[in-house]
Amino acid sequence: MRLFLWWLRRAVSAVATLAGVSILVFLALRAMPGGFAETILGPFASAEQQRELAERYGLDDSAFVQYWRWLQAAIGGDFGTSMISREPVASELGARLPVTGQLAVMAVLTALFIGVPLGVLTALRARPDGGGALGRLVSGLGVSLPEFVLGSIVVFVFSRYALGLSVGGYVPFADDPAGNLTAMILPAAVLSVFAISATARTTRDAVLNVLVEPYVTAAVARGESPAFIIRHHILRNAATPVVVLLSTITAYLLGGAIIVEYLFNLPGIGSYVVQAVGRRDYAVVQAGVLLAATVFIALNVIADLVVGLIDPRLGVTAEGRSM
Amino acid sequence: MSGARPGDVSGDGTSGGGAPATYPSTSEERRGVRMRIAHLTGWLRRLDWLSRCGLFCLLVLVLAALGSMVNLGGDPAEIAGGRLQPPGPDHWLGTDNLGRSLLPRLLEGIGVTLLLSSIAVLVTAVLSTALGIVAGYLGGMVNNLVMRVVELLYAFPSIVLAILVAAVVGPGRPAAMAAIVLVTIPLMTRLVRTASTSVAQRDYVTSAVVSGVRLPRILIRHVLPNVAGTIAVQGTYALSVGILVEGGLSFLGFGVQPPQASLGVLIQEGGVYMVAAPWLIITPGVVLILAILSINVVGDGLRDRLEPRETRSLR
Amino acid sequence: MRHTNRTGLSIACGVTAAVLITAGCSGGDTSTDDTSTPAESEPGYLAVADSSLPAGGELDVQTHIDASVATGLDPQLADLAAAWQLMSLVYETLVTVGPEFEIEPALAESWDMPDDTTYVFHLRDDVQFSNGRAMTADDVVGSLERQLELGSVWTGQLGPVESVTAVDEHTVEVALAEPYTPFLAALANVPASILPMREIEDGTLNPETEMLGTGPFVVADHRQDVSWRFERNDDYWKQDEPGVDAVNVQIVPQEAARIAALQDGSASLVTLGNVDSPALLQGASDVSVLTQANTDFYYLMLNSQWEESPFTDPRVRQAVNMAIDRAQIADVALAGLGHPTGVTPAGLPGACEPGDLPSGMADLDAARELLAEAGAENLTFELAIFSTDPAPAVAQVIQQSLEEIGVTVEIEQLEETSWNGKVYGEAPGRFDAALSWFAGYADPGMVTKWWNPDAAGFNLGFMESDAELTGLIDTVNSVPQGPERDAAITDLCAAVEDDAQMVPLVTRPSMVGYRADAVSVSLHADEGYGNPLRLLSEARMVRAE
Repeated sequence: MRLFLWWLRRAVSAVATLAGVSILVFLALRAMPGGFAETILGPFASAEQQRELAERYGLDDSAFVQYWRWLQAAIGGDFGTSMISREPVASELGARLPVTGQLAVMAVLTALFIGVPLGVLTALRARPDGGGALGRLVSGLGVSLPEFVLGSIVVFVFSRYALGLSVGGYVPFADDPAGNLTAMILPAAVLSVFAISATARTTRDAVLNVLVEPYVTAAVARGESPAFIIRHHILRNAATPVVVLLSTITAYLLGGAIIVEYLFNLPGIGSYVVQAVGRRDYAVVQAGVLLAATVFIALNVIADLVVGLIDPRLGVTAEGRSM
Repeated sequence: MSGARPGDVSGDGTSGGGAPATYPSTSEERRGVRMRIAHLTGWLRRLDWLSRCGLFCLLVLVLAALGSMVNLGGDPAEIAGGRLQPPGPDHWLGTDNLGRSLLPRLLEGIGVTLLLSSIAVLVTAVLSTALGIVAGYLGGMVNNLVMRVVELLYAFPSIVLAILVAAVVGPGRPAAMAAIVLVTIPLMTRLVRTASTSVAQRDYVTSAVVSGVRLPRILIRHVLPNVAGTIAVQGTYALSVGILVEGGLSFLGFGVQPPQASLGVLIQEGGVYMVAAPWLIITPGVVLILAILSINVVGDGLRDRLEPRETRSLR
Repeated sequence: MRHTNRTGLSIACGVTAAVLITAGCSGGDTSTDDTSTPAESEPGYLAVADSSLPAGGELDVQTHIDASVATGLDPQLADLAAAWQLMSLVYETLVTVGPEFEIEPALAESWDMPDDTTYVFHLRDDVQFSNGRAMTADDVVGSLERQLELGSVWTGQLGPVESVTAVDEHTVEVALAEPYTPFLAALANVPASILPMREIEDGTLNPETEMLGTGPFVVADHRQDVSWRFERNDDYWKQDEPGVDAVNVQIVPQEAARIAALQDGSASLVTLGNVDSPALLQGASDVSVLTQANTDFYYLMLNSQWEESPFTDPRVRQAVNMAIDRAQIADVALAGLGHPTGVTPAGLPGACEPGDLPSGMADLDAARELLAEAGAENLTFELAIFSTDPAPAVAQVIQQSLEEIGVTVEIEQLEETSWNGKVYGEAPGRFDAALSWFAGYADPGMVTKWWNPDAAGFNLGFMESDAELTGLIDTVNSVPQGPERDAAITDLCAAVEDDAQMVPLVTRPSMVGYRADAVSVSLHADEGYGNPLRLLSEARMVRAE
């Protein structure tokens, strides 16, 4: 029952957040200087052309009416039509989601398989005073490398010296797996530098916290093998913050992907939404941001579920976390 | 929760005396404040070498920024030489695509970036502290309301949020600052709130309430000092986020206005010249990374001193 | 994301891109030059495609912006040069522009002018739309009438057309109300394309969403803002064209990404916007970068209509016009690739000599005096620009050169839509000054029409018409080429600077990079319609298999 109530609360707050996000985006779009009809058609457009366009997309109505109309359609699964391409927004987002998703998944997996072992290792080797400044420096450097600096450099190095990986030239994985990976490895690598470092830092901290727990000391005293201790005591107990972080990082990567998609010219969601902001393509921005928020919330829920599985004691009571 | 121990700031009954004076008298409060300052400087001194290096780097960057105010290295906007000249005796860091010397541009960029981010983070700190403390202490409806709003902002990808702000406000410094504030507020508010919640349950707070101390006074005298560590640590991290957001915005063309430079603007302008004039991106790029790194290690050092391990944050 | 990926404003100013093309010495239907001229040195060409290479293969092109905006794919409504370049692969016009701006035959194989207001076009009889239907005089009449009714930007450029009639199946007669010198040049651009009118009228074709023309390519696939695939039109009327089987166009807003693609060979031909790209790519093996001179030019709008603008006083406008150092803009902001210009685009035959104008004298004392007279010493004004390269560089040079007469410029850099909103969104426009560029077209009179806001209504928010100026514009556009027109053009250039509500600055170069080991291209040295892809159907793949 408690569990049910918790889920109910969670669902209500998710819906409230999504509604809030959609309203905020809607208001922001309408508050931007330069409306769609007046500016996209350019100065040569006649007043009649503008009127026609505004009418076609219902831009004449009050903001409230427009929002209400959008909301009704959205609840029915219709996220509108791009005013530029005249294609349904949902289908274009669907075509672009795999690109951004693949980027994020590749980066997170890299973080998981490199960052976690790295974090455990550095924690086990850390001196008791919490030192290991060099390790901190390296992982600190990783989280301090902005994608737009690293990416700019990578783009040039790899285009100048053909090193087998291509800059741009995205093809869907299903069409050409090798070509897809050739095009995706560099952007995913740029994106994963931060993810690896952040994961390593969090893992290290979590492990250090566990190491001082009495049950670890007890296990050592019992003479259990180090491998057993790491697997059964340390990893299990250090996993919670790492899982939480990974979900946050995944959500973060969806945002960080914007810059990487831009630099490497990948047809993902980030570049789509940013371009749409510039063109006042309202429906695209609205749907794109909503999608990002939904993914963010879903990731949080998944993280809670995973944490609950790993450590039933914490489970759903992880109060204070987002949502 | 904060690492500042309650004993540091409250009289804890040691003031003795007749009445139920369970909170310190005014003079003792002042002594408490002095003690806190002493503690803070003590912490700074006890930072490890890495954090001290970071502090030193930051100091150098701030001095460089101050240098730009007295036109050290020349007028950043002046077209002073040939285009795209490599570093040399006339222009120590070379010239850009308009023949402007990069050195004064870089100094100006450091100043603009640091100033802009610092002001924005200051605003974030004040707002987050106020919201976080009130929400954490009062709980209930107020807490719900504040946290709903915070979650709302948190659900936006930060760059998208920043771009929307810049598009509404119009590009420039105010937009960059507003974007930094909105991007950094959610996490900081949440952490301050969490810290405040635990402080609110402490004995000395309860006794202050029982003895009829008014709410604002409780918040300022008892709760705030105990979440100060969290604020300091998160403020530091927020500063590095601020620099990143400014850089990202400028990189995407929504940042400070020309001819003014910021680190993000310089990197954006230099990006395309990587092959023929690599100094144009490498120099500001290295400075930007150094700035963020320094701030992060200082943040780490502060955190290790001020906070237990659980409340770590992401960039 | 953006950043720099934007295109110019709409207006017939278009896009920042540039160039490229191939063409060549192939069929000779349209070329005035003999194919015997040695390739690389053909006058008026930067490059000539090697027609001895086998046809076939696929060409990978990257350009910075997609064609379609709110007006969709209708070529007659297209007012962005970026749109013209992609649409020109599918649509064709009655006449076209040669290497030195001469008008050449295209869908009309010849024309007569029985008097100075009548044009009789003799259409080719071997032209089919890509659906297989033969083009007839009805399509031509319908297309021109449709453009005249649209009231688009190009309607104005077509001039005082009174009637368009089909004389027979292959002959069309156009009657003008009065002589109009740029008429043929106006017919040579994409908005005057000949559309399949029968299909449009019976509703089987919506030109806003689908392209169907007589050109060398047909659209096989389009993903908005991502890519195009054009395949050869097997029934194309020009022999031996197109020289490739397909053209894959990727839309790549980031200049650096296009450069990268060119370097690693994933694109064979890219349009470039950065004026240093030729220098940047100098060392790259097998990569050539050509700079095409455009008639497009940057100009400054000085708002005379908003009461808070300092430019309501003509003396202040004149002072600013005089003090801006055009040569420095050309050398520094445009890396020496642009040229100072008057209102008639420098480089176009018949254009005025910019050095003789007040702006060419750079008399700073006179400028200071004018400011003093107007009581505007220590003037500060805001200059609204958009962020597409190299506009920010141009603005910063302006800023530096006006500092010399004590004028402070505060640059306000906006993304394009906000810029449009600010400059054209309301009347009067609430801005002091703004920087933009116009396409310069192929006749010196055409762009000058924008200096009459009564005809070019989009300018009404910041300027008012001037009777003398309007008179000169009309003269220039109605007098036939010759000494009388030259004199009128000289007067017009001077009058524009005297009026100084919109002051011309420098021409806008554009660059095309291609891989010489992959493709052989043709490219005109000069371009008036911002279309580097004009000769793309002449391109041949070097490694065609």
